[in-house]
Amino acid sequence: MAPKSKILLLGAIDHQPALSAYNALSPLATLVTTSATSPQDFLTECTRPNSPLSGTLIIYRTFASISITGPINSSLIPALRALGVRAICHNGAGYDQIDVRACCTAGIHVSNVPQAVDASTADTALYLLLGALREFHAPTVALREGKWRGEPEPPLGHDPEGKVLGILGMGGIGKNLKAKAEALGMRVLYHNRREVDGEEGYRGFEELLREVDVLSLNLPLNPSTHHIISTPQFNMMKDSIIIINTARGGVIDEAALVYALDSGKVRSVGLDVYEDEPKVHPGLLENPRVTLLPHMGTWTVETQTKMELWNIDNVRSMLETGRLKSRVPEQKDLPYD
Amino acid sequence: MKSPEEKQILLIGEILYATAAWRSLSALGRLRQLNEGNRAKFLADCRSGIYDGVNAIARTFDSVELTGRFDPELIEALPKSLRYISHNGAGYDQIDVDACTVKGISVSNTPGAVDASTANTALYLLLGALRRIHVPSTALRAGQWRGAMGLGHDPEGKTLGILGMGGIGGALARRAAPFDMKIQYHNRRPVAPEQNPTKADFVSLEKLLRTSDVISIHLPLSDRTRQFIGRKEINMMKDGVVIINTARGPIIDEQALVEALESGKVFGAGLDVFEKEPEIHQGLIKNKNTVLLPHTGTATYETMSSKNATGFDDGGRIELAESEGLHFDSILPLT
Repeated sequence: MAPKSKILLLGAIDHQPALSAYNALSPLATLVTTSATSPQDFLTECTRPNSPLSGTLIIYRTFASISITGPINSSLIPALRALGVRAICHNGAGYDQIDVRACCTAGIHVSNVPQAVDASTADTALYLLLGALREFHAPTVALREGKWRGEPEPPLGHDPEGKVLGILGMGGIGKNLKAKAEALGMRVLYHNRREVDGEEGYRGFEELLREVDVLSLNLPLNPSTHHIISTPQFNMMKDSIIIINTARGGVIDEAALVYALDSGKVRSVGLDVYEDEPKVHPGLLENPRVTLLPHMGTWTVETQTKMELWNIDNVRSMLETGRLKSRVPEQKDLPYD
Repeated sequence: MKSPEEKQILLIGEILYATAAWRSLSALGRLRQLNEGNRAKFLADCRSGIYDGVNAIARTFDSVELTGRFDPELIEALPKSLRYISHNGAGYDQIDVDACTVKGISVSNTPGAVDASTANTALYLLLGALRRIHVPSTALRAGQWRGAMGLGHDPEGKTLGILGMGGIGGALARRAAPFDMKIQYHNRRPVAPEQNPTKADFVSLEKLLRTSDVISIHLPLSDRTRQFIGRKEINMMKDGVVIINTARGPIIDEQALVEALESGKVFGAGLDVFEKEPEIHQGLIKNKNTVLLPHTGTATYETMSSKNATGFDDGGRIELAESEGLHFDSILPLT
């Protein structure tokens, strides 16, 4: 009998229902981990003769595991292929840490976790939207310091009612946010690569920038969306616009954003993600008008559990059927064996 | 025809945004303003006749610092000419309405105008408390990225109990519905269908306390609702409940809430109002699972000026003030 295939866990599975589901894969495959703690260690472990990782068919990876492996790019992918890897299951919606094109070339299938993150990411966007419109940061800090509203009193905020929200990227998160924003009395417009069936309010990219009072970024980071919002785009926007980003820091030119905030072009922002996180631009940290969170869009017990279970479903599906449950859309034409 | 005696309108406190609308009332009477002093002086001035001839009073929430509460003692001292008290705010617990009624003084508040912005504040606090947002947002500003951030909870699938289904409660229900929350409410009486936009279930107080994952308070403060949520009520709640209060601080026994937060009975609290504001219980300030705002529920340009603006450049501020429909108009006789 041929030895069982291996599943390599990169990063941790934290939630009990998911741990049980993962361990339940052991009759189908050998579950292995790595002792590497740095990208260099990991590459050495992958490439050494008789590597314990040899025979790995599927990788389960987390966003944080980038500290162990570095980005999954062309310097690592051939080594993974040589181990026998045919699938990488990424526990997250955004998979910009993985070079999908290089995976296609190597015949490695990639899955992500869409949908499970939609509601909680949209919740975070809505929290940031209210925080940025109302400029709740300064009074929150003043209160905790025992100064009630602070001296002088913070400026009045703004109501979302009647304002126009522009959603850039109308996928699952964008649609979820739309319903929540409409319940606040906002009018919602959007731009997407293609108009979405059944969704009214489609605008061209520049039209959207010109028309909205609040702009929310809900698009994936890839080479064509990197710095999609920079100085020329800020210049097209209404004065005193509010910007929300729960997608990836790299879609905004952060230095240009700080400049636009300081000039007053942008009134406030609500950010969950940063260009060089965990580093945050000092011009953001020092700004009392902005609402900032440390990349915690999906940071809830319920959503984290759902995501882990979804990702394990991808692993199981690959083992049992040779196909992933939610392969990334760029690979729709890549043949399975 | 005899010309009517000159009317006087007394503003207690300040009008910051509707100055033009205030000035326009001079067509109806002589405008006077009180924006300094204290209760003893106000009572003495009333009794010595300084305000005789005042027909209407327009007052703000913060002006309680100048006069103290409009309690029976103060109402008794008000000039006999007084017919109207117009309170700028939804909650008018600073005014003893029964004592006004006995004296034939009409009291108005500003309902409706505050519903949306107060509900938005409640929603912000609800999301923040479920997510335990205080630790990560503070850590980030201190340059520590996430700090000792703990996992939060999703609103999706949870039961929201709305205590007091008036305009604000209904506005919160409408906002919470797309979060896939199951919504139930308790009120003295079931409300009419048009006040219940999400068709929330009417439940008894006990059922609301026992079965809600998040409880949001939208009651007016009165003798009946003071300390409405105390130890007994908190003990009836689910373990890990989240409590939101954007109504009035004294509706909750703050000490009991602090103890329940410390024991973990209450997972988190989102509060815009406090029992002795601006003083705040240290147990709330020290707690990592609270989200606290300094009574800013309605602090927006649009709500303060009751205008449904579509843009918000700073230049618009003057325009907003010009067009404000001052609530005062609604009760002042125009003849």
